[in-house]
Amino acid sequence: MTSAGRVFLRVTIVWIVTLAALYAFQAFYTR
Amino acid sequence: MSAIDWAIIGLYLVWIVWDGIRLSRDTKKVEGYFLASRSLPWWAVGLSVMATQLSAITMTSSTGQGYADGIGLLQQYYALPIAMIIISVTFVPFFRKANIYTAYEYLESRFDGKVRSLTALLFLFSRGMATGVVISAPAVVLSVMVGADVSVICVLLAVPTAIYTMYGGVQAVAWTDVKQMYLIVFGLLAACVALIVRLPDAISIDDAMRLAGTAGKLQAFNFSTDPSVRFTFWTGTLGALFLFLSYFGTDQSQVQRYLTAKSDDEARTSLLMSAYWKIPLQALVMLIGVLMFVFYLFTPPPMLFNRSHDERVRASARAGEYVALEQRFSAAVDERRTAAEALAGAERSGDQASIEARKNAFVGSEQAVKGIRAEAITLVKDITGDSSYNDVNYVFPTYIVTQLPVGLIGLLMAAIFAAAMSTIAGELSALATSTVMDFYKRWSRGEHDDAHVLRVSRFAILGWALFASLVAIWAVELGSLIEVVNRFGSFFYGSILGVFLLAIGWPRANSAGALTGLVAGMSAVAYFTVFTSVAFLWHNLIGAVVVFVTGMIVSELTRSGSGEPGTGSGKRRAGSGEPGTGNQAPEGAR
Repeated sequence: MTSAGRVFLRVTIVWIVTLAALYAFQAFYTR
Repeated sequence: MSAIDWAIIGLYLVWIVWDGIRLSRDTKKVEGYFLASRSLPWWAVGLSVMATQLSAITMTSSTGQGYADGIGLLQQYYALPIAMIIISVTFVPFFRKANIYTAYEYLESRFDGKVRSLTALLFLFSRGMATGVVISAPAVVLSVMVGADVSVICVLLAVPTAIYTMYGGVQAVAWTDVKQMYLIVFGLLAACVALIVRLPDAISIDDAMRLAGTAGKLQAFNFSTDPSVRFTFWTGTLGALFLFLSYFGTDQSQVQRYLTAKSDDEARTSLLMSAYWKIPLQALVMLIGVLMFVFYLFTPPPMLFNRSHDERVRASARAGEYVALEQRFSAAVDERRTAAEALAGAERSGDQASIEARKNAFVGSEQAVKGIRAEAITLVKDITGDSSYNDVNYVFPTYIVTQLPVGLIGLLMAAIFAAAMSTIAGELSALATSTVMDFYKRWSRGEHDDAHVLRVSRFAILGWALFASLVAIWAVELGSLIEVVNRFGSFFYGSILGVFLLAIGWPRANSAGALTGLVAGMSAVAYFTVFTSVAFLWHNLIGAVVVFVTGMIVSELTRSGSGEPGTGSGKRRAGSGEPGTGNQAPEGAR
């Protein structure tokens, strides 16, 4: 994988983790 | 507000103008003035990109929406990292390789001068209007504090920004953006800490979040497929994706930022800074709104935060109704506080039956408070005839000036000023660049030396500052400001994006296709705006798709008679040499 590919993969992973964390936060405090 | 707070704001204003002028280099050359001689490091460009996007509206209106409706607005930013990746691999290399000053210049190399001029004109109109809205947000803040006329404050805010932008060009804008971004983040963190510290002793952060969650303020995901709902996961990921592609990919105020980077790699890296940090930063802003909601559960809030019509309402024939509402509001707030304390206690005890009962009581009391506020807003509208009356934008400013200690008030006000000025400066610089490069240099006869172009550019910045100030005065009369900004954008953003997608993604597209597509796209957006209730974030997607499909079809139908695609009627090519050398008018215009 090229270095640009690795960077974009990293951004995508951080994005998914951020949204997952927000979803968990919502689920925890609105249950 | 105390003299110390005013002194902090005054010091900030003087320092930022001085700093902007001090850090300007190479401003005697057009490339230095408009593109910082393509010399800025990625982190400065990245912070400048974020500072330009994060306006005072984000700080006042988003916090207000967090207070009133919760963090649902956050969904609008979910697509931003994906948009940044797409822009990094598509728009950035195209623009950088084309060696251009404005995004619209690229369209001339691809189509012709007409497409360039039309898209630049749309940008100037929509961005000029949006800059006015960006100025009006802090003007609203100041008008609350000092009771001064909003129009006077609009002009006063625009002047220092115009001074350092006029003098130092894009370098002054970028380096002041960096400092302003530090101040904004520091201010937001300070507000967050102050809110947490001021919670009652018996209420922990965990309790606060549970109360906010119970009141429906922590809905970060709404999966409704109703197209009329403004903020859902789908509008945030699909509709807003096109908004961000258009804003960061085709809006001169952003494109100009990454054209100033040292290299393609640094330009890409600067955009990815937003990809990582925008959602957490926006979450912090929304969290401040939510924490204010919790704070005002235990500290009596004003019934209406916007007191601009207070005297008039109290002097009217229906003043008695207003006073009765205030009494009901006070009782409802007391009841809500008791219910909140009871719920927090029940949560700590862990008794499920008790928790459920207390939750219902708390939610009921919150509904009662909201209902009375809604009645009060309707009453004010009826009495004053001000149909756009709204107090969402006044929540955070009111909290700052009435609840924070001396010193912190000045710091947060300076942060709001910084947020406004960083955006205004970026917009003014972009508006002037497009005015001069896409119109003045492009269509005027004869050659102009750098000194002449720079003089015109400085006048252009001054002109746009005045125009935006006038729009600001009008925008204050409208509703929640953040939506107003995006509405202005949505009228054109999607369609302009469609033209760029056509240019980059359909090699056989021609000028006739682009122009027809643009008209069709804007007509489609106008239709959906006027005749349907489709949420405005979808307008970007609709505009882009209509332009692309129409442009593709028309290009294919007109292809046989148009010769080679992409040549259009323009004679210049953006990548043909030194930047700026291709700005002579085409032969037909001489």
